[in-house]
Parts: sequence; structure tokens; C-alpha cells
Amino acid sequence: MNSRRDLLFDGSLGFGSLALGSLLARNLRADSGRVRNPLAPQTSDLPGTAKNVIFLFMQGGPSHLETFDEKPALAKYDGKLLPEELRDYDLAQINTADSQVMATQFPFRRHGQSGLPISSLFPHLSRHADRLAVIRSMHHELFIHGSAMIMMHSGTRLLGHPTVGSWVTYGLGCESNDLPSYIAMTDSIFRNGASMYSSGFLPAVYQGTPVHADGVPIQNLRQNPNVHGREQRMLLDQINAWNQQHLAERPGDSRLEARIANYELAYRMQSAAPELIDLSGETQATRNLYGIENGAADRFGKMCLMARRMVERGVRYVQLISAGWDAHGDCRGNHDKQAQKTDRPIAGLIQDLEQRGLLESTLLVWVGEFGRTPIRQGSNGRDHHPYGFSAWLAGGGVQGGKVIGATDDFGFHAVEDKVHVNDLHATMLGLMGIDHEELTYYFEGRSRRLTDVGGQNNLASRLIRV
Amino acid sequence: MNRHGCQITKIGLLVCLLTSAFTVKRADNGVHAADLSDYPWSFQPMIRHEPAAADSLVNSNRVRNPIDQFVLHELEKAELTPAPEADRQTLMRRACFDLLGLPPNQQQMDQFLADDSPDAWKKLIDSLLQSPHYGERWGRHWLDVARYADSGGYETDIYYRNAWRYRDYVVKSFNDDKPYNIFVQEQIAGDELWPDNLDLDPRRVYIVPEDKQRHLEARIGTGFYALGPRVHESALDAKRLRYETLTDWADTTASAFMGVTLACARCHEHKFDPFTQEDYFALQSIFASARETELPLWNAMGEADWRQNFPRVMAVQEARTAYRLFEEKTAGKELSPQQQKTKKQLLTAIGQAVVTLPESTAGQGTLAYDALMHIPTVSVLGREHPELVKTSHLLERGELQKPRQEIAPALPESLALATGASPKLPDVFESRKQFALWLTRDDHPLTARVMVNRIWHWHFGRGLVETPNDFGFMGTVPSHPELLDWLATEFVASNWSVKQMHRLIMNSAAYRQSSRFSSQRHLTEDPNNHLLWRMNRRRLEAEALWDSVHTASGTINLQTGGPPVVPPLAEDEIASLRDKWHWVVSADPAQHTRRGLYILVRRNFRFPMFQVFDSPVTSQSCPVRDVTTVAPQALWGLNNGSVFRQAMHLAGRIVKEAGNNPRDQVVRAWQLVLSRSPRKNEANDALQLLRALETAENQSLTDPPESLKMVDPRRAQALSKVCLSLFNLSEFAFVD
Repeated sequence: MNSRRDLLFDGSLGFGSLALGSLLARNLRADSGRVRNPLAPQTSDLPGTAKNVIFLFMQGGPSHLETFDEKPALAKYDGKLLPEELRDYDLAQINTADSQVMATQFPFRRHGQSGLPISSLFPHLSRHADRLAVIRSMHHELFIHGSAMIMMHSGTRLLGHPTVGSWVTYGLGCESNDLPSYIAMTDSIFRNGASMYSSGFLPAVYQGTPVHADGVPIQNLRQNPNVHGREQRMLLDQINAWNQQHLAERPGDSRLEARIANYELAYRMQSAAPELIDLSGETQATRNLYGIENGAADRFGKMCLMARRMVERGVRYVQLISAGWDAHGDCRGNHDKQAQKTDRPIAGLIQDLEQRGLLESTLLVWVGEFGRTPIRQGSNGRDHHPYGFSAWLAGGGVQGGKVIGATDDFGFHAVEDKVHVNDLHATMLGLMGIDHEELTYYFEGRSRRLTDVGGQNNLASRLIRV
Repeated sequence: MNRHGCQITKIGLLVCLLTSAFTVKRADNGVHAADLSDYPWSFQPMIRHEPAAADSLVNSNRVRNPIDQFVLHELEKAELTPAPEADRQTLMRRACFDLLGLPPNQQQMDQFLADDSPDAWKKLIDSLLQSPHYGERWGRHWLDVARYADSGGYETDIYYRNAWRYRDYVVKSFNDDKPYNIFVQEQIAGDELWPDNLDLDPRRVYIVPEDKQRHLEARIGTGFYALGPRVHESALDAKRLRYETLTDWADTTASAFMGVTLACARCHEHKFDPFTQEDYFALQSIFASARETELPLWNAMGEADWRQNFPRVMAVQEARTAYRLFEEKTAGKELSPQQQKTKKQLLTAIGQAVVTLPESTAGQGTLAYDALMHIPTVSVLGREHPELVKTSHLLERGELQKPRQEIAPALPESLALATGASPKLPDVFESRKQFALWLTRDDHPLTARVMVNRIWHWHFGRGLVETPNDFGFMGTVPSHPELLDWLATEFVASNWSVKQMHRLIMNSAAYRQSSRFSSQRHLTEDPNNHLLWRMNRRRLEAEALWDSVHTASGTINLQTGGPPVVPPLAEDEIASLRDKWHWVVSADPAQHTRRGLYILVRRNFRFPMFQVFDSPVTSQSCPVRDVTTVAPQALWGLNNGSVFRQAMHLAGRIVKEAGNNPRDQVVRAWQLVLSRSPRKNEANDALQLLRALETAENQSLTDPPESLKMVDPRRAQALSKVCLSLFNLSEFAFVD
């Protein structure tokens, strides 16, 4: 019998065609026609320095006007209608024509040497102002959670496309043998189901693994007490051999291929995952840094600390979801609560990565599916707003203390240096040394990419610290 | 998102879409211009095209019925050849999972393989359709569409103690091959079409006659509306709650029965379907006169018996009071021996009082009480008292604070126009009835198409329209429009018989194709198999996987119907449960191995194994389940305690049926798990594994089942582990 790995990735099994046409084709084909592990780590010739991504997704849509995009005009117009030219845009629930402008609910201050304006919502994050590159000109056109979330995760409003994490692991492979290359965690539920971590039309092996962060360990991690020591390995070898035979008679079915890979991964996760999620070895100082055991921040703090541990262990792409930013009725109360949950954990994460020398290679991206309207909904809420909103990037070689782009005086439209979701994705790939136009996958008659036909405003070269 | 932000957002979105939607064309006189050209394909009348003549096809020898003429025609246009027919073993397994969600047993398999009569396949399908387990399988499909759950979700996840009666109604409807138009009518308006007339048989006072039972069944169908997600919070005002409920009702009606997604959260931003805001609120208005109500399910005899027995409930109450008083008196004190004795007596008294409560109603047609003498009921729709019906208003931007003009119940104008009907529903108090009758007209362009497409989807793993809940501009167009229309007209012509559709589809050559065929050309031209050049290979759904494990091990309990069952969970599985009362494990272990269909469906806590294998989220109608491939599935197969337990049961069964010869045991294992005999190399591998495991150091099994206790412990543990391996095979989890 061949070694397990040979069996797993024998050239006859259909992985061969996967990445042809991509920038990685040159790396994927190893000697003697045998195709390598589709998750084998890849290197890139491009200058990007980020190796890992932690995608901080603020689900529900945080207000750019209360966080990173200061708009004094809102106070001036408070209670008045928007200017005529902004009164005819579709929103989810309220009407641009007859709703009143609402002043920013939190004061802004300048922070760090760069003087980056951040609102009082994020006192802890503000200390890292010089590490943040804030994009104030994010935009797309979908004002509904479902489609906007699909857009933010897969660059299109349509279902069935791979998410960023799948593209990244497809492009760069996984550096961990023992953990999934792409892990998604939420402090609530996966509102959009598997579309938040789906591999879409990419082979199933690139799908994200959802881990429930609810203080719950990954289920079924402990070996059944009846299966002793090495017996599990014996069983697994036989299971794999039979499954390989089954696959050999059904070539090209990526689900069957992924299934076999998953058994190996599951086997290794049994030892790697308990160690990963066991935070008891972390010092009290570290725990404090993340706000663990600190009321509202505890849960997201644990998620952020786990994210650092995942990155340390070679997980390529970590998606952390903070749910609950959908501030229709009470923007002040909602954002205050949400900030208490996330501010200290995210600031702690940046600091901890820095202390450990991981920040340079770990790209952090903070964004929601959209921002919020300059106009009032209910007593002091704001509606969904995709036409102009904010995101920030940090680490991964990004020069901080920077502001990219701008919205108009009302924070309504992105007007300068506009950054579409496709541009953000192109930038993320660029920072990882991947040319977004080259990372393609042939599906249904054409080469597909994460950025579709967009991504022209790729900020990577401007953001990389020289 | 705020507490109920999800719902609010949904409403907001919807209204937004509607206002941006293009308006129905009106002529100056207010009468609609009959121009359907701007409408989606699905609004156009069904046209029955005759298929391409069989002898015009290159592969005419493959034609088994008209479906093939349509499919082959398209394939030949693309110059693709169809896959050869699958072997009979594969076909048998496919048919059993497809119709019953259960693997074939050895006897069925042998019988089919031995039957070389030309109509063997036809007979097989007919016999499978007669099985009571058919309704369980197809009922489960419908429950996905009906967003079925036994609780309300949101923060409190309130328990729906009788939602299961709707589940059983669905199963029975499929088993009875209830015409689909009637099935729809019952769910939308069972109470209005078959009024609440449960009068007693004048001849015999205590018997509910059969036709009244049928009316009752129709009313249970409206339970569809009583089991949706439900906000349950003190802060919520009644108007808001009502609005949330009407929103769920209108949206689910549109998705499930009409296949149009009014509240689509995944939509295109420009091309909207031709529904106006008026249409939407008119649809809500159809339900404005409906009220959720509880119907007692017993006859006069049962009721009298219950009244007679009621003092027994009072006795339980008194026994409990006696114990409470004792507790108060002795709180914080050490109990004397005499007091300890008293305490025991008091507790025993409660137990005895509870145990002697009758468990079912008396008289003919007895029914089990829902709980301790709890009257059996069903939650259904009834009619609000006319004076209490609130007028419906169009809500500007969907905001409750901004009511505009009054809106009367009406059909969506565009669809009414498409069917040549007047949108007006003259009788406010029978609006659901009129709506249901219109929706189930033989010439309705959506109803039959939507259902045959669902049936096709559940047979092939993909519908002719890939978005079964969205036949609008935002959905996909049919891959075979003429076939879809042909099937839809056949469906109506066969009196909306779902079983007839199964026969038609499964007897086609398209259905009988091999899934293992491929060529570079096929994969390049049509990688997703839209043209059906082969059968799609499918992974078993969560419930089918659960049922297969228990069927192989012989522990499956095929009892049908009844309240949901609650299997025990491991510590790590139950860890995320917020309230232990939300998962009260069934006391009788025989209930733990019921079919997956019967396992409690909580909106806030999915059965963990089902969640890992993509059971649907129940917040809204689910037309297509996700099929993911992730490592936690492998962890379940390798480590989950209940899987190993079933592997031990399987080992015990094998020894019992095949004796002690290891080779016989291996053969039997393959037959039970994979419905076939092992190949020579597989048998040798298994024997080798068995031997290796037998020589391993540690030989004892924890808590083996009775059937294994008689077996040599070395063999028992080794065979159990071989069985566990088989449960982890791709072949076990996939259907070719």
C-alpha cells in the first residue's frame, strides 16, 4: 500500500485540473505528474507580506457616522431634511425623501501621531490609531442584509460563489496540518447559513469550518473510549483505503475527495483542537488584554484570543462575526453595547499580535455588510446604508494612521477614491501577494475570480509600508 | 440586530422592494391591460408542448416515456450522449432512499434482482409507494418548505406542544396521495372550505362520523400557520406581534405555495417581480380575519370521561400542596427520623396520584392525552369574530406607525390578470377560501409548476428551476421549460397526484441513468449536469443518514406518528443548550431510535447531528438544503457515542444472523450496511482488520448491548469496530 498521503492526492483523483489557469499552477504541479495536496502551502512572488487574515465581520452594519467617518454637517442639519439631490435613494425601511438628518451620537477625537479621527465608542482601539488604515469610501448598492452579506463575503450578490476565505485557501493553501485552513466563528448564529463560509463552486475542500464559539468545544473531538490508542489509526487507514477505492470509481467528485481529506483532518484535529481552544495556558495579563471575564467583552474576547491561537497554528483565514449591529431603533444604545463587546477584544488582539511579532504577517479587516443612514429612523436609529461606509485594515504590512477616500458632507455617498467591495477584496488578496486577476477558477465556461470584473481600485500597493 | 430586528428588517426590505417594483399596467378606465409580456416566464400560461418525436432522436432506443424525449432532445442539441443505465443494485438503493429514505433490506434486494419480468421496476416503485414510510420521507421534504418546528424560536423558544399533529397530517396526506390541490386548500383554508362542523352523529351521540373526521383533518392542515417563528416577549405590543405573524403568514404562503419570494433577502436590485405594495398588504389582508385557535380533539364521550376524572388531577394538586407545606415547616431544620418517614410518604403520595391518572381519553377512538390528562388539542386557524377583525392598511415603507389607505383582501393583481381572474375577493370572511380556490385552479400558472419542480428537485437533487421558492425574475429560468410545462399539465390531468408524478419520473430513462458516467466532453460542456446527461450523486440528508445507521444496526423503531421524541445527547453536544427543559430526554429507550423525522425540532437548538449534516434552518421556508462537506461530519462518524453504540448493535445482529464464521460475518456486515456483498478484496481487507483488532491489547467494550454479551469479547469488540468503519464509508453516505 502506498503511504496515506500518496493515496490521498494521487494524480488520478481529479485534483489535477483544479488550479490550472491560476497563478499557482506553477506550484501545484509537482514532479512525475503527481498532483500535490490541494491545501499544500504556496508561496507568492508578489510583495505582499500578509500570510493570514482575521476578518472581523460586524454583522448587521455598524454606522460609519458613529465610528470612523466624522461628519460635523450632521449636527448642523439635525432635524432637517437631506438636500434635494439625496432624497431619491432606496433604503430598506425608511424614506430618504421625508426622514430627518440625525447628528452623530458620539464625539470624535484625533488619535495617535497621525491624528486619525475615531469616535468615543472605541477608546481601546483608538490607542492603535497609528496602525489602522481606515477606508471611508466603501460602497455597494445592496441595502438588504442577506444579499449585502453575500456580497461582502463573496464579491457578488448571487449565491453559490466562493467566499473570500475559500479563495485565499485555494490560492495559498494551509500551513496547518492539524486544523482547518479556514475557520468561521460567530458570537450568535450564522444568519445566512453556510453562505457565510461556503466554497461555492470551488472544490469542497476549501470550505470554511464553522466552530461554535459559545464556550462550547468542538463536538465529538474526544476519541470514543471503546477505540483504544492506535486502533483508531488502523480503522482510519482502512476507511480511507475503501473510500479511495470508492472515489477511484467515481473520479472528479470533489465532495468525495473533500470527505476523505476531512477524515484525515478530523483525526489530527482530535489532538490539535483541544489544545487550540484551551485558553487555560494563557496568562492572566493576556486574558485581561482581550477583556476575557470582563462582562460584555468576555465572549468576543475569547473569540479574538482563539483567533490569535489559530493564526499561530497556521490557520490561513479566520472569520470572526460579531452579530447585533443592526441599529434601526436606537443607534446610540445599540452601538454602545456592541462596542463594549468588541472594543477591548479587538484592541487586545492587535496588541497581542504585535507583541508576538505576528502583526506584520496577519491582516486584520474590520467591516460590516454596510453602514447606516445619515437620517433618523425611529427615536435615534439609523437604517441600512450601502452607498458609503467605512472599513479598516491593520497589520499584514499595512501602513497605519491613514485615511483612504471620503464620503460627501452627509456621509451619504462615497465620493473620493471609491472602494467597492471588489476593490476591498482585491486589496486583501494583494496584501497577501496574490494578483486578484490571476487567481481564477474555471467554472461553467469561463474563468471566475473573486473580484468578478471589478477590483480596479486595488489599494494594496498604496497601503503596503515601504 | 435588535431583538426582533430580523423580522422588522424583513418587512422593511419587502416593502422597499415592492415600492420599487414596477407597477401593474393600468388602462385609463382602471381595467388592467392584458399584457403579460413584462411578467416573468412563470406567470405565462402553461403550454403543453408535445415532446420531440421519439424516432427523430438519435438515442430513440433510450426513450422510456415522454420525459426522455424532452431530455434527449436537449442533450442531442448539445451533442451530448446520455449515461448508460445504472445497474439494478444501484437502482434499487436509489429508489428506496428516494421514496422511503431508508436503505433496502436484503430480502427486497434479492427479490428485485431475481425478478426479470419487464415490469419489475414498475412493480417495485408501486410497492414502495404503498409503504407507510413513503409519507415520512416525502412529508419531511414538505416540512422543509413549511419551516416546520416544534417551538417558536427567538429568546424564549416557546414550545408548540401539538405542532406534531400537523407533521402527522402531512405524512398522512402524502401516504394517502391526497390530491395536491386539496392539500394546498386544506392548509390555507381548511376551516373555511370544510367548516368547523364537528356535530355528533344524530344516531349515536358519542361518535364522530367519518366525514366529520375528514373535516377535522382538513382543519389540522391549517396548522401550517400555527407553527411559525414567534416572538414572545412582554415588551412587544399586540399590534406589532400581529404584524409579525401576518408577515410570516404572507411570506411563507408566497414561498411555499406560489414559489414567489416576496420577502427575498437575496435579490437583484433592479428587476423586481410585478408585485405592488398593495398586492403585498392585500395578501396579508387575506389572513387578517384569521385567528390562531386551539381545537380539542376528542368526542363527547372522551370529554365526559375527562370531566369525570378531573378530581384525580385535583388529588395530585393536593398531594403536592401537602408536600409543600411540609417543606415550609421543616425548611432549614434537620429532619427527625419520623419527619424523614413523613417526607417519603408525602412524595410517594404525589407519585401515586400522578401514576394513576388515566393516560388516554375514554370511549371509541381513544386518544392519548398530550401530557398528564392534558386535553389533546391541535393548533389551527379559525375565524376572528367579525366585530374584532381589524381593518388592514397599506403601511408606508412597512412602518406600523405609517398606515395609509385601507386594503381589502385581494389577489396579487398581476397574477390575477395572468389567470384572467378579478383580483377582488368579495367576501371578506371567506377570503382564504377564495384565495385557495384561485391558487389551485387547474390553469394557475404557478401552483402546479412549482410543485412538480419541487418533486423533480427531490428526485434529482436539483430542480428544473434551481430556485424552487423563486419563480420570479430573481430566480433561475427552467433548464427544460417545455418539460416543466408538460409535467405540470400531466400533474393537473392526473388529479394532482404526487404519486403519479413519482411513477412518471422514476420510470423515465433519465432517472435510471448511471451517476458514474463522465467524459471530458461532458464535463467541459455541462459541468453541472444541467442537461441531465447522468444522474446526480447525492449525499444522504441528516435524517436519512440517521435512519440508515439505525436500520443497519437493527435498532430502528419504525413506529409512526406521535409527539416528538428526544434522544439523549453527549455532554459536548448539549453544552450550548441554554435551558435544560428544552431537551427533556424521552424516558423509553425504544423512542431514542425512532426515525429522524420524529426527533424534536427546536428553532433555537437543532439536534446536533442534524445540524452537522445540514438540516434546515426553520426561520423561513427552506426550498433547498445546503450540502456541506466539513470535518465535524467525520468527527461525528468516528467518535460520537451513539454511532459506536449502533456499531455494537450491528455487530450483535451480525453474529445472530450470520453465526461465528468471520467470513460470513463480513458478508453480512456488507449486506446490512451497503446493501450488497463485499468484493473479494474488500472481504479480505475486512478479515485482516478483524484479525488485527482481535489481537489488540485492550479487549473490553463499555456497556455492550445484550446481543453482544454472548459473543467472545475479542470478536465482539473487533467486529464492532469493523462495523464502525463501514458507517464511515462514502458509499454509505452517498447514493449513486
